[in-house]
Amino acid sequence: MHPVPLFIKGRILDNLEAVRGHFLLRLKLPPAFHHPVPGQFVMIRVTESQTPLLARPMSIYAFEKGAGHSVLEIFYRVAGAGTRILSGLKPGDELSLLGPLGNGFSGNQEARRAILIAGGIGISPLTFLAASLSPIREPFPVEMTAYVGAQRKEALAGLDRLSAVCPDIRICTDDGSMGYGGRVTELFERELDAFDPQGCAVYACGPRAMMKRLAELLEKHPLPCQVSVEERMACGLGACLGCAVAVRTPGGDVAFMRACKDGPVFDIRRIDW
Amino acid sequence: MRPSSLQPSLSVDIGPLSLRNPVMTASGTFGYGEEYAPFVDLNRLGALIVKGLSLEPRAGNPPPRLAETPSGLLNAVGLQNIGVKAFVKEKLPFLKEYSTAIIANIFGETVDEYGKVAEILGMADGLSALEVNISCPNVKKGGIAFGSSPEMAAEVTKRVREATDLPMIMKLSPNVTDISHIAESVESAGADAVSLINTLAGMAVDVEHRKPVLYNVTGGLSGPAIKPVALRMVWQVVNRVNIPVIGLGGIMCPNDALEFLIVGARAVEVGTASFLNPHATMNILEGIETYLREHSISDIGDLIGTLERP
Repeated sequence: MHPVPLFIKGRILDNLEAVRGHFLLRLKLPPAFHHPVPGQFVMIRVTESQTPLLARPMSIYAFEKGAGHSVLEIFYRVAGAGTRILSGLKPGDELSLLGPLGNGFSGNQEARRAILIAGGIGISPLTFLAASLSPIREPFPVEMTAYVGAQRKEALAGLDRLSAVCPDIRICTDDGSMGYGGRVTELFERELDAFDPQGCAVYACGPRAMMKRLAELLEKHPLPCQVSVEERMACGLGACLGCAVAVRTPGGDVAFMRACKDGPVFDIRRIDW
Repeated sequence: MRPSSLQPSLSVDIGPLSLRNPVMTASGTFGYGEEYAPFVDLNRLGALIVKGLSLEPRAGNPPPRLAETPSGLLNAVGLQNIGVKAFVKEKLPFLKEYSTAIIANIFGETVDEYGKVAEILGMADGLSALEVNISCPNVKKGGIAFGSSPEMAAEVTKRVREATDLPMIMKLSPNVTDISHIAESVESAGADAVSLINTLAGMAVDVEHRKPVLYNVTGGLSGPAIKPVALRMVWQVVNRVNIPVIGLGGIMCPNDALEFLIVGARAVEVGTASFLNPHATMNILEGIETYLREHSISDIGDLIGTLERP
């Protein structure tokens, strides 16, 4: 189930700004790096110096196993000091990297339709998932619908890659500058009843408020839904207990699970939002 | 000096406890060992100190539990753990398979709780020692940390001493006026060794929202930021007590570990460094060995406590 993660060096192939503030990092890795499952992540150290001290957890955007090496892609938004340093790195630079880590999305064998709900940079792991869902189901490919939300048109990122594997993309912008004017969960709520819960599965990744709203929408709805969560993290291996996620126990209590080891993908109904 | 090709002796004695080398894992940074087993040959560690254990399981604090600070890490995990009974049943069997000394870190909210945890672990098979965390609040004394008063620290030491014959390391808090005073007090009360420092109390504020970064408001600072403070405290304590001192606090590389050994620490614990590099303990061990060889020191005992005058 868990292939052993490796702590290795990766060499930057490209690190280009795709859309304002959003970068596509391509890393060349030794062949020993295991093939990740969509939803898994890596811990990237953006510097060998002590500030920032910790590695950054990053979702995997794409992975390709080649002859003699593999290529790992990370799609990231510059959000703080760590990602700012990362965005300044050049082709040829080396990075320390730990992975693949965590539990990815589990494919629902019965599902004939996948609904992807992405907010902002949450599009990254869902694109990897969409790419892995589309070819494996030949001759019965999974039908996919993606809801992609951003604050405004200029902040929509990663649409090209996703549309190549998922033609049905429903765009939402908070300011109405493109697609549906409003939150991604609003549009999904309007269309929710059009989906047959039988053979349908929802996969979501985005800001906490988006996922909390989605949890409310699905509370009394039979659609299964997996979400990928984000938390501050130090080790990525389950040791530091920093990345606590509040979940409901069968007894009704709240317990803390680790985003890195027990997640980052959880059943949306398990989390205490 | 010509580098020696001989393998230097790395073994150290911590009171009644003999270790194959001085590199230990700091509690709370190495889980229950299994988390790091894919990266570290656990048999090469001097000792493995597990995540702190209490009598009953503890859920810990809500997130956010971590805040990164310049060269440091603030944590407020809240001593989340599976409880001592689950540890003995579920985690110890895996650890027992290794030849490395396994040390259980323990804590309690009352003096009696410390005693009960120590009794349970004293009867379990497979442990080499206890490390006693006295940085947590005493609920019966208005939440003052046990480790902040010489009397309370001694009381915990005596209670644990009564409860078990296992070698006992008292882990001292740096959040005190005079740490060597506390060290003397636990020495008189029967401690076999002391380890220091635990994390330094700290906090961080999110200025956009004017809120503490940590849910718990305050947390414990670890990492390279605290190393000079830790080193100074270890040096002070070494000069005041006769029992062995184990040094920790921001040890990231072999040079850091060597500094602690030279001021007189008999062994070191590596903590936050494992978060950034899962091989950190082994890199530090190998670096100490290389240093000894390069300086033609055949026994690590000939390095410990050899700080010269300025």
